[in-house]
Amino acid sequence: MMLRGYRAGDLELLSGTWLSGELLGLPLPNWPVLAEPATVGPPSDETSELCVAPGTGFVRYCDVDWVHRRARLEIGVRREAVDSAELLISAAVAYGFRTLSLRRVYGWVTPATHPPPYLCERAGLQREATIPSAVWFDGRPVPREIWAAVRRD
Amino acid sequence: MTDLERLDPPAAAAALRATPDGARGFLGVDPVTQNDMAIAGELTRLGAHVFRRGQALLGFVPNSEQPRQATVATTSADPDLMTEFLTFLGSYQRCTSYVAMVPSGSAAESTFNGCGFHRTGTLRGHRYQTGQYQDVHVYFATVGDLCRS
Repeated sequence: MMLRGYRAGDLELLSGTWLSGELLGLPLPNWPVLAEPATVGPPSDETSELCVAPGTGFVRYCDVDWVHRRARLEIGVRREAVDSAELLISAAVAYGFRTLSLRRVYGWVTPATHPPPYLCERAGLQREATIPSAVWFDGRPVPREIWAAVRRD
Repeated sequence: MTDLERLDPPAAAAALRATPDGARGFLGVDPVTQNDMAIAGELTRLGAHVFRRGQALLGFVPNSEQPRQATVATTSADPDLMTEFLTFLGSYQRCTSYVAMVPSGSAAESTFNGCGFHRTGTLRGHRYQTGQYQDVHVYFATVGDLCRS
């Protein structure tokens, strides 16, 4: 799957019913009818890099640090393209390593959203840390995990 | 904790630069590779609050996803000072849990071990310092874990 840079016409890919800030934002079931969808803004400063996969979703590299060569990954997948999530996350990690020349990409995974566990592992990510009650979800604080992939070079 | 002096980002950047070595990795900033303007910009972007108490600097970043949690950092190796600061955050910020991200091998590790934090993970190669990639340890404590002396 190819990622390309964000253009103004891709705005509809930037919002959906996922938990914001999530490494792999899959559409959540039971999204409250009146709740606003989670949205990321168009790129505004140099600390983030926004890419899209047309028709599938967006990939955002936040807090990009060129000294430590790392970035936090955020992915949002469209409801109709959930089957392509595995390709998208692999493409995002590969783009971070090869095109942005990062050494480490990491992100938040919230077990309470029941993400399919194999998706992150197949893309080469590992669980590194767990932070209890790190995010408010479904009316209570739930733990969040940090998953990361490190390039060996 | 009456003698806690709040510093604005430019003053915090100057104070971090004046702290020998202990300030590397304080809330993720590094006075060796970043100039004062970059440090002040980074602290503003994070929404960090930095305080001075005597020679030591203490800081926290509220977790925007969960207002009862904060990431804390210190330049001092004194666990009592940290405990006092966490009590202050508990009263004035209503925090009930704290996270600390500490570069491995830094003096602050013993501080957090000494005041009731426990390690919940290690971020591999999270920082680049003095020619090599370093791990960062993640520490966590709830209000109930803190040692009260």
